Amino acid sequence: MSTANGIRLEGVGTVKTSRWAVLALVALLVIGAVALTGCGAADEETTETTESGAQELTGVINVEGSDTIVNMGQAWAEEFMDQNPGVMITVKGGGSGTGIASLINGTIDFADASRGIKDSEVEAAKVNGVDPVEHTVARDGIAVIVNPANPVGALSSEQIGAVYRGEITNWSEVGGQDMDIVLLSRDSSSGTYEFFKEAVVGEDAEYAKEARLLVSNQAIVDETAGNEGAIGYIGVGYITDGISVLEVDGTAASVEAVLAGDYAISRALYMYSDGEVAGAAAAYLEWITGPEGQKIVEGQGFVPLG
Amino acid sequence: MSRVRRARLAEAVAKAVMGAATLVVIGIALFLLGYLTYRGAPSVSWEFLSQAPRKAMTEGGIFPVIMGTVYLVMGTAAFALPIGIMAGVYLSEFAPRNLMTRTIRLAIANMAGVPSIVYGLFGFALFVMSLDLGVSVVAGALTLACLTLPVVITVTEESLRRIPLELRQASLALGASRMRTIQKVVLPAAAPGIVTGSILGLSRAAGETAPVLFTAVAFFAPMPSTPLDQTMALPYHLYIMATQAVRPAPHIVWGTAFVLVAGVSLINVIAAGWRSAQRRKIKW
Repeated sequence: MSTANGIRLEGVGTVKTSRWAVLALVALLVIGAVALTGCGAADEETTETTESGAQELTGVINVEGSDTIVNMGQAWAEEFMDQNPGVMITVKGGGSGTGIASLINGTIDFADASRGIKDSEVEAAKVNGVDPVEHTVARDGIAVIVNPANPVGALSSEQIGAVYRGEITNWSEVGGQDMDIVLLSRDSSSGTYEFFKEAVVGEDAEYAKEARLLVSNQAIVDETAGNEGAIGYIGVGYITDGISVLEVDGTAASVEAVLAGDYAISRALYMYSDGEVAGAAAAYLEWITGPEGQKIVEGQGFVPLG
Repeated sequence: MSRVRRARLAEAVAKAVMGAATLVVIGIALFLLGYLTYRGAPSVSWEFLSQAPRKAMTEGGIFPVIMGTVYLVMGTAAFALPIGIMAGVYLSEFAPRNLMTRTIRLAIANMAGVPSIVYGLFGFALFVMSLDLGVSVVAGALTLACLTLPVVITVTEESLRRIPLELRQASLALGASRMRTIQKVVLPAAAPGIVTGSILGLSRAAGETAPVLFTAVAFFAPMPSTPLDQTMALPYHLYIMATQAVRPAPHIVWGTAFVLVAGVSLINVIAAGWRSAQRRKIKW
């Protein structure tokens, strides 16, 4: 260690023994370099494929937006890509606002939205030279459900709002038995939760603290079927036996009522594009609104377009 | 006598408390790993590893998800290693000892402390929007590289510093130039440390969600065919299955978590093992 001789000998030894170490280091750098070159080489291909997209149905379609639609978006993408192997579709959630922001930023082809575009968003789009075009791709309705043993069969949306705000807490106040109301709600990450809040509870109001937050439509159905005092809300596609569907403002929730536009708690689901679409994107949109795409809508618990 | 006793008692108590603290840390790590393995390992099958997700993550596997993470990490290595290692060599071997160098070191230390979501937004603004790379594997890899750079630079610099001065002097005394000394003597001796540290930095990048959230990933995407495509990635896949997918199959969720943690752990163990093997060979 301390003699000059020792240092030199060990030093030389070091260089020899760690040749493997250098090799590993070089290998890491080479892997890096290869990945980098790969990037450059492949870039050019993308452009070609995308440009020739119109004819042979190839290309990349990026979709982002509503969490309500994201699962249906995946189902559409899977099926469409199975039928058109040349098309590559990516689907991303994050919320209607996120999707529209990305459309304005020009990073995507379609923005999924479970609400109409806001004026402020249209303004922002104009500033960026983006022209949002609305396409209705499905409909969504929310049924209000109670236990079959509950004699209450109809409520106004005002009454349901009061129930969910915690202002009405006993069934006798709305013409039922003397029984506490058990509030069931979806959890706050759900698009259904947001929509029900806006449409019924009130945009500036809050759900009552007593409301039990359940993670799925199915959980609400199960709980309502087993609890006489329960009231819950679910997508109309999830209506099953074992529960009773309330008439809201005189109309009971059903696929038909949502389609006819008679039912109060319903909405359209949209995809927004920048200008009119062409090529693979146009084919995709046409397929979604056609029979095959709408069959998937039904399978996902939403209401297909009439 | 009583003072001695008291001191011994204090020592015993301190030892017990510190031992308990260590046990808690090990316990948490073991519990996490053990529980993940218990829940996740049974779902790992050839099908799970080789198929794409289907039917809103209720069927299929995670092959494109794994490949997405592999691509992202390879891209990160491509950008972060050359720049990081060169910067580390400069700082250790060439940089003058002045205010400028100290400022650079401080900046690197601060970079290491920046929350990963800030890197994500920075990457979105710079790579996705300004450089117009779009939400893509390249943009994500560049963002992750920014996150990994301070680790690579610091590790390189530290590894080079640990090489004894005598080794450099011996080389210089033999007539080797400064550049040649670094190339043939210093870097090879420091390589194990640099490689291990870099791998640890990359494995951290592999597990990050926030930097790729805006820059690279999608809820659902096929295998990226070019670096300008969006991709899926293991940490983000876990995130979306927990927050957005309606009812993903539990075995897919646990399996994904297991594959991510097992993959990263395996790489870390290999790096650590390789390093200690290298250390035993080198003596000075």
